Amino acid sequence: MEGVVTIVQESRFQLTDDDGVGHLFILGYLCGTETGQLPTLQRHQSRVRVSYKPAPNLIGNVASSIEVAV
Amino acid sequence: MDTHPRALEQTASHLRGPIPDESELTAHVLIEPGKSYGFFTDTTVCIGCKACEVACKEWNNLPADNMGLTGQSFDNTGALSANSWRHVAFVEQADLRGPPRSGLDANTRSGCGHASQGGGGVRGNNQPAYQSGWLMLSDVCKHCHNAPCLEACPTGALFKTEFDTVVIQQDICNGCGYCVPACPFGVVDLSTADGKAHKCTLCYDRLKGGLEPACSKSCPTDSIQFGELSDLQQRAAARVETLHGLGVGNAYLYGTPGAPGATGGLGHLNAFFLLTDRPERYNFPVAPTRASNRVAPALTAGLATVATLALAALALFAAEAPGRKK
Repeated sequence: MEGVVTIVQESRFQLTDDDGVGHLFILGYLCGTETGQLPTLQRHQSRVRVSYKPAPNLIGNVASSIEVAV
Repeated sequence: MDTHPRALEQTASHLRGPIPDESELTAHVLIEPGKSYGFFTDTTVCIGCKACEVACKEWNNLPADNMGLTGQSFDNTGALSANSWRHVAFVEQADLRGPPRSGLDANTRSGCGHASQGGGGVRGNNQPAYQSGWLMLSDVCKHCHNAPCLEACPTGALFKTEFDTVVIQQDICNGCGYCVPACPFGVVDLSTADGKAHKCTLCYDRLKGGLEPACSKSCPTDSIQFGELSDLQQRAAARVETLHGLGVGNAYLYGTPGAPGATGGLGHLNAFFLLTDRPERYNFPVAPTRASNRVAPALTAGLATVATLALAALALFAAEAPGRKK
């Protein structure tokens, strides 16, 4: 999924896609991105590509990798 | 009602940005580092609207969890967890006391000053329980003065902030989970999504920005009050006196110095409660303790056991030795 990181709280972030829909993600423990890197992505409004899988029993997804989309 | 002087500063409909020290307007308190802040939750005015739960989830970007219905009254949150930092408990009570006996009021019948059935006081009679038959309480991390979770943390991820609250630093937490059993209130939880411990931060980021926490700001009845701890404790003591005067003799504080809840070396709780029934009814421990209190007795018992077994083994070998020679 591609979009812009709009909200960051600890290891959770909201990705807003091209249709303006917000999706909640949680950094998975195997994700290479650290908690401290998320605020930078949000500040720069960087376009990112997130690989994920749905979190069990949660309305949210677990991000397994985050790449800056070119 | 008097208008706060600072409210006159904001005359435009559209704000350019956050109001500096907004907490002065919303909670009548100026948030300054170095002072103790907390919550006073008055359960007698909680209406169970769950605005606090929603505000917490919204501000902290927490995902909805526990899909489906629990079957437990109106409570579908179930309990505090890694993704639910506020939990509104609905304790439904049947009025099983029967008709009042002459010469005994509701509080006397219930024993030890706390009503065991029904709300007590407000409707201490034999009418069918309705509104007074519900106990509602917005549970949250207590931000203990001597926090057992903080003492148990081996990495230093848990720390005391400049506002005397307890926060987990997510980039330092290694997910060992030692803090989970250390908490006497069952607040801290490990997330299955990221493997780290999570709990209420008392909106640390909001406090740094001069805003009161989201839950207390959203509470429509002021059941959750945010403020400086000493001020809140005075306010709570006055509220108990008022309730006693109104006939709610079973009202008491849980978590203030010397009161139930502030036991076992915890000192006091920065998030304390006004209750009208026994703590167990609200799923609170009667006498919570620090886990570190049990380290010395457990270590002594362990060493004593090892010593006893060693002596027993020595005695056995000593008894065996002459037989072998024969």
